[in-house]
Amino acid sequence: MLISFPNMGPNWVAFKTLFTALDLDVVVPDPTNREAIKIGVKYSPEFVCFPFKATLGDFVNAIEKGADTLVMAIDCGPCRFGFYASVQERILRDMGYKNIRIIPLDQADLLEFHWVKTLQEVSGRKDLFIYSKYIKAVIYFLKKAKLLNDIQTAEGLFRAYERNLGDTTRVVNELLEKLDKANTLVELRNFKKVIKNDFNSIDIEKSRTPLRVGLSGEIHISLEPYVNLDLRRKLGEMGVEVHQSLSLYDWVVHKFHLNYHRKWLEHLAKPYVPMDIGGECVWVLGEYIDKAKAGFDGFIHSYPFTCMPEVTARTIITNKLKKMYDLPIIYFSFDEQSGQEGFRTRLEAFYDLMEARREREIKSTPEFMANGQKKIYPQYGGEFYNEIAQLIQAE
Amino acid sequence: MELSTTGDKKRYKVGIPRALHYYRYYPFWKKLLEELDVEIVLSPPTNKKIVEEGVTHGFGELCIPVKIYYGQVLKLVENNPDLDFLFVPRYVSEVPESYFCPKFLSLPDVIKILPEVPKILNFEVNVKEFPISTSAIELGKQLGKGQTASVDAYKKAQKYFDEYHNFLRDGGSVNHALRLVHRNLPFKLPKKQTKGDLRFLLLGHAYNIFDSFINLDFIKKLHEQGVEVLTIENLPEYLFKKPVIVNPRGGILRNYWRHEEEIMQAIRFFLTKGKNEIDGVIFLISFACGPDSLISELIMRDMKVVGLPFLEITMDEHSGEAGMMTRIESFVEMVRRKRKKLGLEPRWKSKIKFYEGT
Repeated sequence: MLISFPNMGPNWVAFKTLFTALDLDVVVPDPTNREAIKIGVKYSPEFVCFPFKATLGDFVNAIEKGADTLVMAIDCGPCRFGFYASVQERILRDMGYKNIRIIPLDQADLLEFHWVKTLQEVSGRKDLFIYSKYIKAVIYFLKKAKLLNDIQTAEGLFRAYERNLGDTTRVVNELLEKLDKANTLVELRNFKKVIKNDFNSIDIEKSRTPLRVGLSGEIHISLEPYVNLDLRRKLGEMGVEVHQSLSLYDWVVHKFHLNYHRKWLEHLAKPYVPMDIGGECVWVLGEYIDKAKAGFDGFIHSYPFTCMPEVTARTIITNKLKKMYDLPIIYFSFDEQSGQEGFRTRLEAFYDLMEARREREIKSTPEFMANGQKKIYPQYGGEFYNEIAQLIQAE
Repeated sequence: MELSTTGDKKRYKVGIPRALHYYRYYPFWKKLLEELDVEIVLSPPTNKKIVEEGVTHGFGELCIPVKIYYGQVLKLVENNPDLDFLFVPRYVSEVPESYFCPKFLSLPDVIKILPEVPKILNFEVNVKEFPISTSAIELGKQLGKGQTASVDAYKKAQKYFDEYHNFLRDGGSVNHALRLVHRNLPFKLPKKQTKGDLRFLLLGHAYNIFDSFINLDFIKKLHEQGVEVLTIENLPEYLFKKPVIVNPRGGILRNYWRHEEEIMQAIRFFLTKGKNEIDGVIFLISFACGPDSLISELIMRDMKVVGLPFLEITMDEHSGEAGMMTRIESFVEMVRRKRKKLGLEPRWKSKIKFYEGT
């Protein structure tokens, strides 16, 4: 039995460990590419949201590489995501892949422990002895997801300072390889140091004052670089600090009801949307308010074309929050028609806008003028973020 | 509130936009609000200006019914500046383990930030958390009514709503019934019944099928072609008792959208026992409708297996009359030719049979 799962940026590392820790064989699909998208678009319903098409393409790719058991996360409403697994299963059957099993991974509420059933189904064992392995698998999964989150944080900061374009990307790819190979708890415990060391070896120009941009949106789109036209890298190479708290770890911890950052965001967004309406709507609103209060220079909201919850978020930001908080925001809705050049033009225009705005802000604020014409950003971010920030600021 | 000469409290004026859930719950709302001693103001039927207004306030990726809702709200506020409240209910789930589309979940939130909108009358239906009578009590509180009055109003409204549904199941059309409700007339079937040699099942959300502006008078066009139209509202209740399992062979998933559940349940009957009761199925979808994009795919795949003719029409604010006409005509003609070839008798001779106890 060969297990596979769809791509979501670098998170294949975490998902892979979840199954290899159970002594199962895993095949990782190729990074999402044009071929996969083409297949996904061909066989998917026309108006379905883009992650459906991308993941279907990944599945076909994985099947061609020999996978016969696919694991797909499911949810139970209210957005379209809950239907993905079952409709994709149906489509794959109709495409002629008759012996494919899609095992749903219920992530509606991880404290209900439906995921144990998935692990039982995947491993084919239900006896008590396997439970120690489940615990190991979950611990490895969570640790790797956390480390991926850390890599993402460091990447967003360092790329804005790198002297040679592409250094950070190279370091990140090396780190992913290393993390994939780290399969003991000791290695994982020390991995944070590895991340810091590796990033510290990048040649950076410390005197730069990059713009700060918050990034949020639908999770698959925000994390999968092929789908979002490598938004994070493009921003970084323009010289922009990218702050994105959204990651797999962020989401999983939220589903264990332990993510206090998200609870804070929910609190911020409560006057505008009082309940979770699916997708990331509530948290996008929260992030927008949070980033505006933290003195950011801009905000980017990326989502799949016609995504129902994100469209609601966009409506509320355009009609209300934008006027209240005055934080520049740009929306990117992605589908298979997205073109590189138009995207780049919009991004560059947004960059110019943010820069002009910051200059005006500096000139109108005496404190910033006194600071050598540099904007002072309030303290922001979690523990690891501050450690990384110290690496950059250290002489 | 200011007092009138008789010393009575002034009746609140509440506006209801004629869009989205209006086509589904209006009789219920009307009875409920009238029992709570409220004057109801309804916005005019959708016209071109309303759509244009809505399109400018909503943005491109919203589906057309929501844009119309925007337009209707703005029109209502413009025509009646003295409104006390705007009735924008929040429908979260009407049946346990189900949801409405996310756009309904956040409807009051996106409406209350529009310019010059009066206070919103909050009515949240969320049976996952509390029963509807609680929502009615909350509604009554905002209108200055006590608990008993609110619960009584809710009971009466529910009874009236059941009557309304029975009338629809006897074969009344929704638009006709809504007209009767609006004029406070008793439910009575019209004398003139349309007869045709074909019978189609018209699927889709109530706000797409019965808003005759946005679908370019679709039902009338079908009648003109000699087609009897059946909608979900006309089907007997027992069809909707058992939940639909989307993928019986794989991991079992229950459909969690309320409207789509009804559509799937209706189609399940016509795919199995009622296979010979209809000649074809037409599914009206608004562009960018999230749930329908997946459901229509599932239905289309089922239809292919059974061999029933199926037409899916996607519409938005740019729909053209001529194109729509051509599609309907060719579809009807195709079905008719098929029937002729098979030597079947026209439909008006047979009454539709619903087998009890499925």
